[in-house]
Amino acid sequence: MTEPVRHLYVHLPFCASRCGYCAFVVEVGGLGSRDDYLEALTAELEMEAHRLGAIETVFLGGGTPTLMRPRRLRELLDRVRPLLAPGAEVTVEANPETVDGAQLVELLEAGVTRLSLGVQSFQPSLLATLDRAATPAMARDAATCAREAGFRSLSIDLLFGVPGQTADDLASDMEAAIDIGPDHVSWYELEMKPGSALAASGVPLPDEDLTATAYRDIVERLEAAGYRWYETANYARPGHECRHNLAYWGAADYLGVGIGAVSTVGGRRWRNAPRLEDYVGRLSRGEAPRRTVEVIEGAVARRERWMLGLRLDAPRDLGWAGPPDNPAALDRLAGLGHVESDGGELRLTREGRFVQNAVLGELMEFA
Amino acid sequence: MEQGLIRNFCIIAHIDHGKSTLADRILQTTETIAEREMRDQVLDSMDLERERGITIKAQAVRVPYRAADGRTYQLNLIDTPGHVDFSYEVSRSLAACEGALLVVDASQGIEAQTLANAYLAIEGDLELVPLVNKIDLPAAEPEEHARAVAELIGGTADEVLRVSAKTGEGIDEVLEAIVERVPPPRGDGQAPARALIFDSVYDQYRGVVAFIRVVDGSLPRGAKLRAMQTGLVFAAEEIGYLAPEMTPTEGLGAGETGYLVTGLKNLGDLRVGDTLTLDAEPASEALPGYQEAKPMVFCGLFPVDSDDYPGLRDALERLSLNDASLVWEPETSQALGFGFRCGFLGLLHMDIVRERLEREYDLDLLTTTPNVEYQVHDVRGEVQQVRSPVDLPDPNDIESIEEPYVRATIIVPHDLVGAVMGLCQDRRGTFVTMEAIEQRQQIVYDLPLAEVVLDFYDQLKSRTRGYGSLDYEPIGDRSSPLVKLDILLAGDPVDALSQIVHRDVAYVRGKNLVERLQKTIPRQMFEVPIQAAIGGRIVARETVKAKRKDVLAKCYGGDISRKRKLLERQKEGKKRMKQVGAVEVPQEAFLSVLEIGSDD
Repeated sequence: MTEPVRHLYVHLPFCASRCGYCAFVVEVGGLGSRDDYLEALTAELEMEAHRLGAIETVFLGGGTPTLMRPRRLRELLDRVRPLLAPGAEVTVEANPETVDGAQLVELLEAGVTRLSLGVQSFQPSLLATLDRAATPAMARDAATCAREAGFRSLSIDLLFGVPGQTADDLASDMEAAIDIGPDHVSWYELEMKPGSALAASGVPLPDEDLTATAYRDIVERLEAAGYRWYETANYARPGHECRHNLAYWGAADYLGVGIGAVSTVGGRRWRNAPRLEDYVGRLSRGEAPRRTVEVIEGAVARRERWMLGLRLDAPRDLGWAGPPDNPAALDRLAGLGHVESDGGELRLTREGRFVQNAVLGELMEFA
Repeated sequence: MEQGLIRNFCIIAHIDHGKSTLADRILQTTETIAEREMRDQVLDSMDLERERGITIKAQAVRVPYRAADGRTYQLNLIDTPGHVDFSYEVSRSLAACEGALLVVDASQGIEAQTLANAYLAIEGDLELVPLVNKIDLPAAEPEEHARAVAELIGGTADEVLRVSAKTGEGIDEVLEAIVERVPPPRGDGQAPARALIFDSVYDQYRGVVAFIRVVDGSLPRGAKLRAMQTGLVFAAEEIGYLAPEMTPTEGLGAGETGYLVTGLKNLGDLRVGDTLTLDAEPASEALPGYQEAKPMVFCGLFPVDSDDYPGLRDALERLSLNDASLVWEPETSQALGFGFRCGFLGLLHMDIVRERLEREYDLDLLTTTPNVEYQVHDVRGEVQQVRSPVDLPDPNDIESIEEPYVRATIIVPHDLVGAVMGLCQDRRGTFVTMEAIEQRQQIVYDLPLAEVVLDFYDQLKSRTRGYGSLDYEPIGDRSSPLVKLDILLAGDPVDALSQIVHRDVAYVRGKNLVERLQKTIPRQMFEVPIQAAIGGRIVARETVKAKRKDVLAKCYGGDISRKRKLLERQKEGKKRMKQVGAVEVPQEAFLSVLEIGSDD
């Protein structure tokens, strides 16, 4: 019998419109189907509830979860609440233009402990490039609103490497972000995802040297402002690390419900098919969603642990991660100043973290 | 068969001028091949031949033909390769024939190789039957080209046949002309047997199969045979002719061509050009043979994955079974590990071998810069043959270096003469002559072979918009001021990137090469200087900057597999890289040496 699962992801795919850089599983519009979807989601959750123990973390991601009517979100959270462990972290993703004070209070009352605001940038021109609906002022207002409502853990999402982003834009984003005073920052590099409008437009991504400098500047600036660079793209004030994401990076089991959601339980990983009608239809007939399943064990599991573990700043226990495929590479990487190992522990140096992918490629085969 | 009813002929044509289609049509018209078995280029048995539209190995097909005079003739069609690398094989085919169809494209006219091979045929005393092909094309100018062909080989334009191998128009006239104009063989049917081996192939199940032309006497089935040069005695397991499939007979008589299944296991046991006679009743004198094919171009072939080394050796052994002109010996490179230095007839030959190794034997290979064989005179007065830049002695020990030269004949339209002369000058050419042929110019230059084997042909094609045609023949070695150009990666010389180049272009070539390498070699975890050095002195430098960022950004909603798959794809890409010291070098880097373009 596998261990009970303690981490839950709930996918709420609805968006008012699709952003230019987005290739996630989202449903634009679809007002009529939202209730049906929530019903199906609840059904899947009940179907899988036997796998769950006391839940440590819940993440409501999207899509734009805050586009759901507050009453509906509350109903969903009501289903989850009895399953929560004491002190559980419950995160909801939100876009600044979709939140208001009353709604945020309602979310807090429903058990949400953490709000993750999708800001992306404070520059109007870049927000336009990204097709984001919110203005910089809305982002600031949403943050103020969250604090006033009583949120004690606030995270914002930002992007660098956006086509057209200058060094000044970035500096200004960094100051604006720090000025808002979030407890946690996720600052990702924009990826050109096949299938996104931005990729289709043929706009080139900025030069590698520029984005490398941007990345390094962000790390430096946020650290100076008191945030710990605890994961490749994540920064937190002490005690505000995202526990849900730490679970992913610690290779813990997790259950994901909703279209396109991924679960990993007891060495099996499955992904729900992305079509909404199909998902709703199947669950209304009491059937499981259509899924693709993958077995994660042996060398694959070991390589994933390395891949995930090296994202964190904390040293990794080699006993936990298992041996690297190419132990000889360790000395060379140490010589280059990219890794430090101490007995049974291994960590990436600061320089090593910036090129962790290359380090990983040296150590592990990924065949 | 009575010799008076036999005609042995081959087809001389430039690539794409329709030789294989003409052969197909002859087989079809004479019903040698049933309609339903007909496919394009029946005679080109290797996949590569059919794909590239070229013929590599000569073959002989027997074609029965009932002529207008009511008699049935035995026509033997001996196929010839159409590429300059294989002119040696052409001469072999010619020696087995009394006549040749000279094919000229009705829209393009005479090309350099056609001319070279036509001259070979004339020297060999063959009767030429000229024809202009593709008269069905809208751009065809058969009259004009017929006149030009007649002028070149003597005779009148009326004697030049007008043919469309595609539609079949004029094929009957071709067959009649073969019977009327090509002389029958004139061997002595009663003399002791003499048969020329003009080609051989290795068959996996039957061993060495020899293609022969009986000149005197006859070879009966089951007779004990003797190879006159080597003295080897063997009994042929089977004797027959190609129709075009192998058809056993009781024997082959004077004037006939056919094959022998020898049962021998090694192509080298039976030399092409040797004379076969009966062991019991041997002829006293062998037929004039051939010069052995001499490799002209050399390069290193290395497996990308060093575990494939034994596989590469096996593959080369097997290819050699059927390709006596392919030579190879083990070579060890500091950069690339264990591999082989291989010798080829020319660049196309090299390409074909490399492609067959990769395709038929599933090997990933790295090819080093092709080079020629140098004669190095050292200060002690001794001469060394150097086939690899690595083996070039220290400059202080070198008195002089000779390199092979070729006489290149290039035919181009008048308005492109300047472009071609420019290219030849760039490549250290010496002008010999120029004359007008039809509406075009024939330009003759003496060129170092080393300059031809790089991308000369590609450059010629691109500078002449595809109209230039090239033929060349070796004319011996000449002394040149040559130096070794080394490339250093992260401070260490990479032997596989070294070249022997003319002193005057060494700097520019070194500079161009490091610039190209800088663009080809991806960023590593550390800075990689790329330097060019001549005789130990650094003359150019570029730097591949160190990676400053290499992370996978987001790990959204637990979609860990997507990330892992990204890494797997990345690893797949790395497999195409070669670890040279601490630097990962993509295969293209080794190939970038091949494209010298122009030295300015």
